Amino acid sequence: MAEIVSVLALAHAPGATGWLDKAPRHEQDAIISGYAEMRNRLAATKPDVIVGIANDHLLNFHPANVPDWCVGTSDHWEGPAEWFRDWVNVPHYEVAGNSGLGRTIVRESGKRGFNLAFSDKLLFDDNWSVPLHFLTPDHDVPLVPIHMNCVLPPMPSTARCYEFGKVLADVVRAWPEKKRVAIMATGGLSHDPGGPKYFGVDEPFDRGFLALLNEGNPQKVLREVTAERMIAAGDGGTIELLAWFVAMGAAGKRKADTAFYVPSVPLRCGMGGVTWDMGTDGAG
Amino acid sequence: MGIMDTDRTLPANRLVFEVRRDRKLLDRFANDLEGLMTEYGLSEAEKKAFREIDLKVLADLGLHPYFLPQVSRLFKGTGYNHNESAAARLYASKMLNPGKP
Repeated sequence: MAEIVSVLALAHAPGATGWLDKAPRHEQDAIISGYAEMRNRLAATKPDVIVGIANDHLLNFHPANVPDWCVGTSDHWEGPAEWFRDWVNVPHYEVAGNSGLGRTIVRESGKRGFNLAFSDKLLFDDNWSVPLHFLTPDHDVPLVPIHMNCVLPPMPSTARCYEFGKVLADVVRAWPEKKRVAIMATGGLSHDPGGPKYFGVDEPFDRGFLALLNEGNPQKVLREVTAERMIAAGDGGTIELLAWFVAMGAAGKRKADTAFYVPSVPLRCGMGGVTWDMGTDGAG
Repeated sequence: MGIMDTDRTLPANRLVFEVRRDRKLLDRFANDLEGLMTEYGLSEAEKKAFREIDLKVLADLGLHPYFLPQVSRLFKGTGYNHNESAAARLYASKMLNPGKP
């Protein structure tokens, strides 16, 4: 049986790789050291495979037909997608997938009430390119990418995301392979691509959200951090934190530990990351 | 105006969605925007907004917020997209100070 050895969530904003030099030195240092801390925490858990959950930035699914979640079922991935390559400023990379785990997640989640789409062709933009660049720079840990709809109404509710995280953790643990699995959500924190707060961040929201995650009380998070609240804190950007609700569901009632937080206006994003200490894994 | 006001059925949403995924369509966006817009069934209001790069009108028509800065990058380039970049300034001039030169 597989073991969930780590659950983490972190920002993937393209400025971290695309125009970090435009941030003041203290922000640059805090972001680089923050991602390094995330890399060290992940590496310490020695994952054999990463199951990722991130917003699909309207890149893979035609607006006429957008799934809540789509599981990548290929054994081979590459990125960044051509038009986004200069923007994210990450060189072309290849990373292995795990079709067996991907197909298991689709099949077994279906039995638990989650109708997941699946595809062996997914374009990657900043959603994976930025986190992988910092956390697994050699791209030597296979990735099962799960793209989700955070931005085209109707999105799955916060409660639905949390529930999917619980199901995902159960399904991964029941996977009959003796593998160490990390669950990694990417996106957020506050930002507003194309909206009225495009050139700003909402630091009070971000700090409040992180403080709530630190308490280890998912029901309180669900009560206090509504979709409306996230949209008010940055519309189509902050709502990417729906992916963090999936991670929170996978982590159970454990307390998140904040690795870093930098409200960076030059990067147009609240940059941060957390990990949940899974200790000796068991249902949380 | 925001993600909740997106008109998923707006032809312009389909056009921008597909242009970013297809090198040939990207070339046509640069060289045959009129033909492309007609082919995708854009309304006259949508066409006029693209001709004038009027992001505010596109937003009001229901273009997804993500696509607004992406349209600015389609016209001004994608790389080094910091707050003073040509693409970001185009977005700011159209969305934050609409009507001003």
